[in-house]
Amino acid sequence: MNGVAQIQLGSFLLVYVLLLVVLAVMKKCRISQTKLLVLASARMTLQLIAAGYALTFLFEHPHPLLTMGYLLILVFFTIYLVLSRNKRLNPRFRVIVSVSIASCGLGIIIFFVTCIVGQSVFDPQYLIPISGMLMGNALTGVSLGLKSFWNGLEGQRARVEALLNIGATPEKVLFPFVCQALETALVPTLNSMLGMGIVVLPGMMTGQILSGTAPTTAILYQITIMVAICACVCLCCFCSLYFGYRTLWNAQKQVAF
Amino acid sequence: MSCIQTRGLAYGQISYRDLDIEEGKATFISGPSGCGKSTLLRLFNKTLAPTAGTVLYRGQDMAQTDSIALRREVLLAGQSVFLFEGTVGENFDAFCEARESANLAAEDKQKFLRLCCANFPLDAPCVHLSGGERQRVFLAICLSFLPKVLMLDEPTSALDQETAERFMAQVLAFCRERAMTVVAVSHDPALTGRHAENIISLRAEAE
Repeated sequence: MNGVAQIQLGSFLLVYVLLLVVLAVMKKCRISQTKLLVLASARMTLQLIAAGYALTFLFEHPHPLLTMGYLLILVFFTIYLVLSRNKRLNPRFRVIVSVSIASCGLGIIIFFVTCIVGQSVFDPQYLIPISGMLMGNALTGVSLGLKSFWNGLEGQRARVEALLNIGATPEKVLFPFVCQALETALVPTLNSMLGMGIVVLPGMMTGQILSGTAPTTAILYQITIMVAICACVCLCCFCSLYFGYRTLWNAQKQVAF
Repeated sequence: MSCIQTRGLAYGQISYRDLDIEEGKATFISGPSGCGKSTLLRLFNKTLAPTAGTVLYRGQDMAQTDSIALRREVLLAGQSVFLFEGTVGENFDAFCEARESANLAAEDKQKFLRLCCANFPLDAPCVHLSGGERQRVFLAICLSFLPKVLMLDEPTSALDQETAERFMAQVLAFCRERAMTVVAVSHDPALTGRHAENIISLRAEAE
């Protein structure tokens, strides 16, 4: 197999015709999200172009500090996006979510790059795509977990109040919400594992095959990264919720949310 | 003797005059809505912290006592009724589990249900109960913990007059027998007039 075929600029622009099709469907069905469609596709284009140039620069001038800098920015943005999607968390809860994402995420990234792939963490070729995949999934997972935790609490205020009033400890009352949220956060990852290989050829594997890697090598990467993603989502979400839900009550066991 | 006393108590915009709840008696709290009746009960079981002043339970400042132990003694059956999924009998067990106390025998469960005018079979699923029936089952469970102080927030809000009357009479007789203190919030002046041993009327106080 050869390297991947280059996409020409003309044919590249042709793909935006598909967006016009989406736009037409949305107009027909009176979906008022046309603004979002334009914004989202424009932002995607710009962000990816920027990432493309940044990565080209990084690969041409590999420097441990630059690689680490990229990683830190990635982690920072993951935390920022999770927190901006869950604005109602109290300040201590926010700190715990940040620390959980940073420590669990970085831990798994380092473990994966050094122990599984067997490369230096300073090698941008491995570190950057892998950390992007792991943190991207952590972002969706933790956001989903926190959202479902909060919705659960809000929806079952009567339950929380009734159980506290009869003298149950806050741990006992609130822990079921942690479990429920963790389950909700993990289900998409688990479901995607189920369909993998049959219907879905996942992005990483497709990318490697397109660029000429033998499919047998590509599946090894894909299997290991799927397990790592699952662990990353699970750990980030568990630590955020398990240590975070303790900030909802004070020393007098008074619960506020 | 005083069971619960307040000194200079305030919560947010609401400030209370100093109150005394007499031990072993049925005290009813009345007043216009928004005057802080439910908040007062939550301050009494320490699920809320006062912004000023103190609440004393049997002479001891509540801020110094263990909250969980206190809530098991000064139990609040709140206004919003909650029951788990499952049957009436399973609900008794689920609440016991939440409190980490031993399960009741079937006859005891039935005794408390009868006492609260909720004579349903233990295997009846709670989803089929009406609002008023759920309220009575919930109150029966709260009563079954035999707290030293039972606080009832609008216990008869979903009951018709006849059932409300019978419920109140039976529960208060049971509590009197056991020297339990009852603090009830009620909007119904007739019910209050017939059953209260002490009445505290709160005003919507403007500071």
